[in-house]
Amino acid sequence: MNTLFQNRTEPEEGEHAVIEEPHAGGDSARGIHVFARLRRRMQTCSAAAGEDGQHGHGMLCALPFGVLMLFGFIVPLLCVIAFGLMPSHTFSLLHHMPTLENYRVIFTQSYVFSMMKSTVLAILTVFLLLLICYPLAFALAKVFRGGATFVTYAIASSLFVSENIRLFGWVIGLMKGGVLGGLLAKMGLPVDSFLYNVPVILVGMVYVYLPFMLFPLALGLQMVPQEVREAAYDMGANRWQVFRMIDLPLSLPGIMIGSILVFVLSIGALAEAKILGGQKIVTIAAEIETAFTFGQNWPLGSALATLLIALTMVLVFGALKKVDFESLLGRKAEGQS
Amino acid sequence: MGIPSVIVDRSTRLSGGPAQTILEVAGVTKQFGSFTAVKKVSFRIREGEFFTLVGPSGSGKTTLLRMLVGMEPPTDGDILLRDKRINDLPPNRRPTCLVFQSLALFPHMTVGQNIEFPMKVRNIPPDDRHTRADELLRILHLDPAVYYNKSVLKCSGGERQRVALARALAYDPEILFFDEPLSAIDARLRKMLQKELKDIQRNTGKTFCYVTHSLEEAMVMSDRLAILRSGAVEQIGTPAEIYASPCNAFVAEFMGEVNLLDVVGVKGGGAEWQFKVYREPIRLSEPFMAGIQRKLLVRPESIRFLNDGDTADNRFQVKVKNEFLLGSRKQYHVEGLGGFKLIVECSSDHTITGPAATIGWDVKDSQILES
Repeated sequence: MNTLFQNRTEPEEGEHAVIEEPHAGGDSARGIHVFARLRRRMQTCSAAAGEDGQHGHGMLCALPFGVLMLFGFIVPLLCVIAFGLMPSHTFSLLHHMPTLENYRVIFTQSYVFSMMKSTVLAILTVFLLLLICYPLAFALAKVFRGGATFVTYAIASSLFVSENIRLFGWVIGLMKGGVLGGLLAKMGLPVDSFLYNVPVILVGMVYVYLPFMLFPLALGLQMVPQEVREAAYDMGANRWQVFRMIDLPLSLPGIMIGSILVFVLSIGALAEAKILGGQKIVTIAAEIETAFTFGQNWPLGSALATLLIALTMVLVFGALKKVDFESLLGRKAEGQS
Repeated sequence: MGIPSVIVDRSTRLSGGPAQTILEVAGVTKQFGSFTAVKKVSFRIREGEFFTLVGPSGSGKTTLLRMLVGMEPPTDGDILLRDKRINDLPPNRRPTCLVFQSLALFPHMTVGQNIEFPMKVRNIPPDDRHTRADELLRILHLDPAVYYNKSVLKCSGGERQRVALARALAYDPEILFFDEPLSAIDARLRKMLQKELKDIQRNTGKTFCYVTHSLEEAMVMSDRLAILRSGAVEQIGTPAEIYASPCNAFVAEFMGEVNLLDVVGVKGGGAEWQFKVYREPIRLSEPFMAGIQRKLLVRPESIRFLNDGDTADNRFQVKVKNEFLLGSRKQYHVEGLGGFKLIVECSSDHTITGPAATIGWDVKDSQILES
């Protein structure tokens, strides 16, 4: 991350006012390019499969990861889906006939509302974070220069402390007679408690997921070549037009990646609603947890989890389809010859 | 860098009458901290001319250009467009447009959208924009049917140059600035585009101000050029003027392969003066103070091989070190007995008999320059 927001080398004398080299955009930018190249390589590899031994070699290299994915992701996922089809309160996949009973329960009881609440919370979080992070990311990528590294570290360092501990810190600050409440009481403004309502849950989520929105956004904005912005400005565009017609469309990959990251994380969020929200809002993640633990109803929990995964996939892939990532990410590789 | 041996005087185009000054740069200085990138530069660009700023890397030409288009404020001095001071006008309110070295095309737009951008920003109706974009594409020899909807990423280097130029023309600026847009193009295409650019400049009648480090490029295209060295203007003139009488050794050397000899005055008196090159006497045309050091410019084509009967003001015994065939010309590298090295050019049918030869030149073909 340390090279992420270092200023682009300003032409000292102005002699080499060249756009950044394709791979000079910092480690993470390089990561994206490497990923794109890797994928292209894989495509050419599979195209050439059977013609030489290269293909088998690649398969061998991918084996450890393949095994990990198989037993760490695919098998558990299949188990969850299968358990979702078992009669309620059963603990085996083998002795029962599959049934859709759990899904009937979900759609006839309040679980649907939990799912909707979680979705709305996640969408609101994404929206608020976009509003908060875009200006900050712009400053990081284009304005702060030397200070950007410091700000990056400052924001990233919040990730070094466990999420729960940070949230309990907020509780101490906001609870009845806590830091803020106590101060206000001393000033003659007795406030009951700031906790246990929907806005405070939202604030907590925005706070916790801020880095996940900020860094992809800053990266996306950094990929907008300075000269392209200057060219637009030079040709009569005002700041708003430069933003709307140049910055926004060119930083779209960053916006999409940040939004999807935050959405996926926050739709499954558990701690914010629990710690800051009390029992005010029961999120879908909380419902799943209750079903598995307190309720001892694995099939119901599995069915809920399956629905959550399906919902996330539909929304995420729907959003991804709207953006032509191929052309946006490939532009550096093809461009600037 | 080969300099064409015949220089066409392009200033004739302007001789119909004194063209008006469109842009005046008056004592412009730019400092970055303690470093002065541009030092008190002054020149005038005339309406409708092709003006070029030439200089090696680090001569401050890009910085100067960025000030002219408004992307950097000058530390001192004035920039006047039609006698109006524009120092403080931001780029988007200046009727000037820069074609970047990187071209800075909008990668997320098609060729048509790129060209229409400056018109869209001005709220010109879509139909008019489209018509104008097609027109510009045709001027630049790009078929609108093929290119209008093509992504700029799918265009070749030469096509991108044209799109960038079309976009700049769509802005309809009073002056078009160019920051070496051709430097990344291969030599053959570059030569073609240089001439095309010159044609477009003539046909549109626009004022072009071009920045380059390549004198060859400047010579081909410019009506007038200014030579920059470490942030200051060395000489301004038509290519022919500068080629014929460079004002100092730097300009002479920059203009191409020439012989520059260190000379020092030894004694005065009489109609002719004697000087020393590696302690050999040389005759020059102008009086010279003893002890003063200068550079003597002798063009390779002014030096000739002498047979026994030939006369020349200066004669030297030399050893031929190397021979190069340059198409219709032949170049020899020779070394004098005193150790000085010279380049001699003659027609390619010339043959030499052995390593020892006599060369010479006349006083009128040499110039004394400040170093």
